[in-house]
Amino acid sequence: MSAGSITVFLLSISIMLFFAKLLGEFFTKIKQPAIIGEILAGVLLGPTVLGMISPDMLEWLFPKTGEVKTALDGFTTIAVVLLLLVSGIEVDFGVVLRHRKTAFSISLIGIIVPFALGFGISYLFPEMMGVQDKNIHLLFALFIGTAIAISSLPVIAKILIDLNLFKTQIGFIIIAAAMLNDLLGWLIFSVILGLMDNTGRSIGFGQTILYTIVFVVFVLFVGRKLINQAVPWIQSKLTFPGGILNFILILGFLGAAFTEYVGVHAILGAFIVGIAIGDSAHLKERTREIIQQFITNIFAPLFFVSIGLRVNFIANFDFVIVSVLLVIALIGKVAGGAIGARIGGLSKNESLAVGFGMSSSGAMGIIIGVIALEAGLIIEEVFVGLVIMALFTSIASAPMMSHFLKRKESFRLQDLLSPSNFLYSSATDKETLLIELANFAAPKVKIPAKEILQKVMEREKQGATGIANYLAIPHAKIKTNKPYVLTAKIKEGINFGSVDGINSRIVILLLTPENKNELQLQLLAETAKKFSNKEKIEELLSIDDKNIFIEMLKQM
Amino acid sequence: MKSLFNKLGLAITFSPTGKALLAEAKRLTELFNARLMLIHVGEKNETTERLLSESISNSGLDESTIEIIRTNGDPADTIIKTSRDACVDLLIAGALEKENFIKYYIGSVARKIMREAASSVLILKSPSETPKSFKRFYVSTDYSSESEKTILTAYNFALLEKADDFVLVKDFHVPGLASTIQGSGSLDELEAAREQWEAEEEIKMSLLVSELNLRGIKVDIRCLYGKEGWEAGNYARIHNADIFAVTPPSKKLKFLDKLFPQNMEHVIKELPANLLIVR
Repeated sequence: MSAGSITVFLLSISIMLFFAKLLGEFFTKIKQPAIIGEILAGVLLGPTVLGMISPDMLEWLFPKTGEVKTALDGFTTIAVVLLLLVSGIEVDFGVVLRHRKTAFSISLIGIIVPFALGFGISYLFPEMMGVQDKNIHLLFALFIGTAIAISSLPVIAKILIDLNLFKTQIGFIIIAAAMLNDLLGWLIFSVILGLMDNTGRSIGFGQTILYTIVFVVFVLFVGRKLINQAVPWIQSKLTFPGGILNFILILGFLGAAFTEYVGVHAILGAFIVGIAIGDSAHLKERTREIIQQFITNIFAPLFFVSIGLRVNFIANFDFVIVSVLLVIALIGKVAGGAIGARIGGLSKNESLAVGFGMSSSGAMGIIIGVIALEAGLIIEEVFVGLVIMALFTSIASAPMMSHFLKRKESFRLQDLLSPSNFLYSSATDKETLLIELANFAAPKVKIPAKEILQKVMEREKQGATGIANYLAIPHAKIKTNKPYVLTAKIKEGINFGSVDGINSRIVILLLTPENKNELQLQLLAETAKKFSNKEKIEELLSIDDKNIFIEMLKQM
Repeated sequence: MKSLFNKLGLAITFSPTGKALLAEAKRLTELFNARLMLIHVGEKNETTERLLSESISNSGLDESTIEIIRTNGDPADTIIKTSRDACVDLLIAGALEKENFIKYYIGSVARKIMREAASSVLILKSPSETPKSFKRFYVSTDYSSESEKTILTAYNFALLEKADDFVLVKDFHVPGLASTIQGSGSLDELEAAREQWEAEEEIKMSLLVSELNLRGIKVDIRCLYGKEGWEAGNYARIHNADIFAVTPPSKKLKFLDKLFPQNMEHVIKELPANLLIVR
């Protein structure tokens, strides 16, 4: 490269990074994925905006041919390989296997339905999608099917952490399904790439598929074990994190080089090697985070900005194509994911939440679009449609998922506290109070009061249930499907053996299903946490209205 | 007080490890005030009979008080079936990959016993001919009823041993968490989420301890973020645990579970300490 080209190359990279960060941060601030800002930065810097204002400037900064173009393309290829490498590192077969029934059902049906819709419409109406060459009908339709069927784990993961649902059963199921969707999606995509015209390639289709299978099996079953032995050695003997990052990148690029050589695109190799590395129990969480940071903040923005540089988003905006892609993506993905979740045993609201969660195709859909565009399989209008579809689904999935998850039955203390499950008591001893509580609870949980009382008393004999700050939590596991919480305000304090020696004036009876040990502990923890501030509790004790009392307790 | 284990089973071999295992079994039989059954898988002839008798008398056991079963067949299957039929409630086995003299006792046998025995299992990593009591107990814990049983069994075992340490270890992992960085999450956000989860787990664990009413030895709690099954075992190994107690999975393991190990499979493969599997 000449000195002039190097200068332009470095300048263009710094401009791309600057605008990507600027807009990415803005979108993060307004609670949207950063990828939207990064792509928008590309639209601003590319033919859509800068090209309109100053075509010369665009051509100087981001030339269509020549050394700078080659260098930028090389950079974005590395970026996309690294993106897939880290996606692979985050795949956890353990969680997929633990939730295999539901995860398989969600991801399989969640792939089949949108794939079939995308494939069917593209195959039946190729002209509508701008395909003139009859030789590529089939491949084109397969590509569209896959681009629509794939989901984006990072977008889903971010939604779950924002909704505080990551570490819940439904969170694990959604993550497991998204991971499996990624794996299946990339495998299907690789087969399609193998089907493509192999002129210029050293090997034929049969060999491509054979080598790919051998590669996947070898890396996942043999390589994984070798990596697991190498990781602790590297982390302890070489400098941290330099040594392990180097090791991960070397393996990632080697895998990518191999799959590119056999004709299925470099990304599959990086993804599979990533899975094998991520499976190692020795891989420090810090390493995962550092590599994510490194790629998310340097390589991913460059790749996403480069999307906008490729085409003019206004000139190539085709309303019909965008609408068709959006409609089939939303219908296919939401319906597929939701049907899969329902078959997998989830409730109606949970299934719809899963469907919307799985509908975000994010970065993965865009990567497929880029590869298809580069391969000449899709026209620019379809590419623009795919990018808009990926962004739209990423924006829409969070509020929709949140909406349906809020409607699903909740067993958090916050949702179980209710003025209708509240009583005032003038009991002066523990047994009288517990009889009163059992009698109140019995019709609600449809268990005889005597049985409830017996269980609660058994637990009382085992150890004190008085906590501190006027609180006691008598509790028991009973034959019920749902937890029940009854709040009682006592006129005069009763000794429940609290650690602070203060008699209890607020008694919360917790009745939980027999087989849900963790739920009982969770509710006990949530209740105790609310009573950490004595002054606030004393304020609460001065409230006589049960509605205000419960509302105030909820807000603690 | 009811005995923790009423009947112990030991698959006997005629090797130095076999002698050490007999010595360990003798000590545990006395500790639990239990009966002992020896299972010998192999051909019955004069030599094996003589070796068996010698082994028993050398260990100081009274042959008349123990039950001896001689049987043939696949070692692991035979040991599992025999101990089940004889209502053994703690099956003791060594973990060594190879024995010096006889082929019966290889690592795969121990693994099969760990996975498939109907009773509780105690796998000894390096049994001694002069056994000592176990002083450091580490228990991998979750919130299931089965796990409660494991905690109680290990605790009562620790009480009998007058153990110094009893640690409940809860490991947990949130798969895909790091990928939130790609979805615009920050390191601080991740750190905060992990800290909050660790704090929640610690509270739940302390509540669990008070629910179980464990009295006699102080119970320590450790909540660790990392690969489930592996992290707790690793913690036990680092702290030189004498006994690491685990709860087996409630479902039978399938082929895929063994290929991509999770929870107890990590422990089986890496044996961080003498392993107590409570069933």
